[in-house]
Amino acid sequence: MFNLFLAVSPEIFIINATSILLIHGVVFSTSKKYDYPPLVSNVGWLGLLSVTIAHFFWNNLFRRDNFTYFCQILLLLSTAGTISMCFDSSEQERFDAFEFIVLIPLPTRSMLFMISAHDSIAMYLAIEPQSLCFYVIAASKRKSEFSTEAGSKYLILGAFPSGILLFGCSMIYGSTGATHFDQLAKILTGYEITGARSSGIFMGILFIAVGFLFKITAVPFRAAISLLTLYMWAPDIYEGSPTPVTAFLSIAPKISISANISRVSIYGSYGATLQQIFFFCSIASMILGALAAMAQTKVKRPLAHSSIGHVGYIRTGFSCGTIEGIQALLIGLFIYALMTIDAFAIVSALRQTRVKYIADLGALAKTNPISAITFSITMFSYAGIPPLAGFCSKFYLFFAALGCGAYFLAPVGVVTSVIGCWAAGRLPRVSQFGGPKAVLRAPFYYIRLAKRMFFDTPRTWILYEPMDRDKSLLLAMTSSFITSSFLYPSPLFSVTHQMALSSYL
Amino acid sequence: MFLLYEYDIFWAFLIISSVIPILAFLISGILAPISKGPEKLLSYESGIEPMGDAWLQFRIRYYMFALVFVVFDVETVFLYPWAMSFDVSGVFIFTKALIFVLIIIVGLVYAWRNEHWNGLSS
Repeated sequence: MFNLFLAVSPEIFIINATSILLIHGVVFSTSKKYDYPPLVSNVGWLGLLSVTIAHFFWNNLFRRDNFTYFCQILLLLSTAGTISMCFDSSEQERFDAFEFIVLIPLPTRSMLFMISAHDSIAMYLAIEPQSLCFYVIAASKRKSEFSTEAGSKYLILGAFPSGILLFGCSMIYGSTGATHFDQLAKILTGYEITGARSSGIFMGILFIAVGFLFKITAVPFRAAISLLTLYMWAPDIYEGSPTPVTAFLSIAPKISISANISRVSIYGSYGATLQQIFFFCSIASMILGALAAMAQTKVKRPLAHSSIGHVGYIRTGFSCGTIEGIQALLIGLFIYALMTIDAFAIVSALRQTRVKYIADLGALAKTNPISAITFSITMFSYAGIPPLAGFCSKFYLFFAALGCGAYFLAPVGVVTSVIGCWAAGRLPRVSQFGGPKAVLRAPFYYIRLAKRMFFDTPRTWILYEPMDRDKSLLLAMTSSFITSSFLYPSPLFSVTHQMALSSYL
Repeated sequence: MFLLYEYDIFWAFLIISSVIPILAFLISGILAPISKGPEKLLSYESGIEPMGDAWLQFRIRYYMFALVFVVFDVETVFLYPWAMSFDVSGVFIFTKALIFVLIIIVGLVYAWRNEHWNGLSS
């Protein structure tokens, strides 16, 4: 009986910490004696502490295995990273609400539950509070219409797939009478081969897959215009939310939902149906992420598009149902989390000085060369250029895809990777901004950002404020990992291999 | 028609419950007297002449009252079965229900202390 409490003790710790944090915040920030202090940084540091300490409560019991361990540690560390990004932007944008910080450990707790969920009901019950907290913090900047728009779009874009997911779970329950993934694995193994196909099960699996793909902002069903509109909302959500929220929402749900999808589709229902859907969505995401990121002028939107595209690459990891696939997925997730934290930390540091458009980055190389170098390292890693970590993850993903027979997907992936680097050589912007040295033959897209930073003379010189200590520490850690992982990738590879093996058993 | 035979009753229920409002609208559409005139287009204000502006600023307190009411109402609904089976369930169930109530109390403390929700404590 008490084993139950021990098993979920990380989540219990975070729940207690969140409640205490909330009460602490509200009691002290409304007390006349202390003259109503807005407690944002206070609560922020405590939240950061609680999220980092939570992983010490690990207990190797119940339905957890090494796969869960890896994903949860990754999740907690990414959340800690995003909270540390919040401090300065809260000061800068005069953000007086400490509830924003309380609403970050709360979905973390739900995501921890989600990663270790082995049952459809537990999975849905964990997805819902996580999404709900995200809807709220996406709309938390009350004076900005962009933020409100982002929040309402995210609400619709998130509530709709939750419904589809639940409908799929209920259809599977109605047809098989089982919700636990162990039971589903026994029932659904080889159901396509033996000919005992039931349309209820097939529709149920289809609905679950579609629900998950929507939640991970994939690009499904591009023939339907209405669904295309829903896809088009995802970059608006990324752009309109406040920057730390965008960082949080592009890393953390992707980790937990990827872990969940791989559990459902590989452990629960192993078959070719889902595989084709996932492959198609991966290809579509890769292509669209590369193409749409080319035509952007602001700083946050191409990051949004490239993160959607990169999640498409990662999705090929669990699309092939092999162990290398899951290993590639975990490696990809880890490197993706680091790159995204890196990119959003730089963007949120630059936003202090009202950098919104890419053209504003022009003075970065001359006023702040180190952050320019870090930003270009991150962008090159996204592009998949060899000595950096992004290349490792993409290489292993395509290797796993080839290993399971997806001979169409790997070349498409490589080509879109290159296209993501390539922008049309004759964009009028380039000719406007470029000096004689700056017009390269075929300016690559991510390299275009670097070009903009290093080679262009800007029209207006923007004075950048120096970065604060927390963010610079974070950037140092992540960018050093990105540059050095090519030389010594074996700890990551062996750890993820162990995790992948344990998720199969 | 369905995999489980009980669903046929559900189908019948669905059809009947869809037919009744349609029937209501049809009958009222046929039997009700319809008169047209300029006074039918005025907005209704309990029979008197409409006065003042129709558009008021939305007061957020109404929404907050409703929100807090819904939360505590759902909590009450969850506590009813626990209360009914209180005498046969042991200490373990009591502890779990207590934890549930404690989590809701955290929300109550927040709503009580926060100055935006001050209408509730007065």
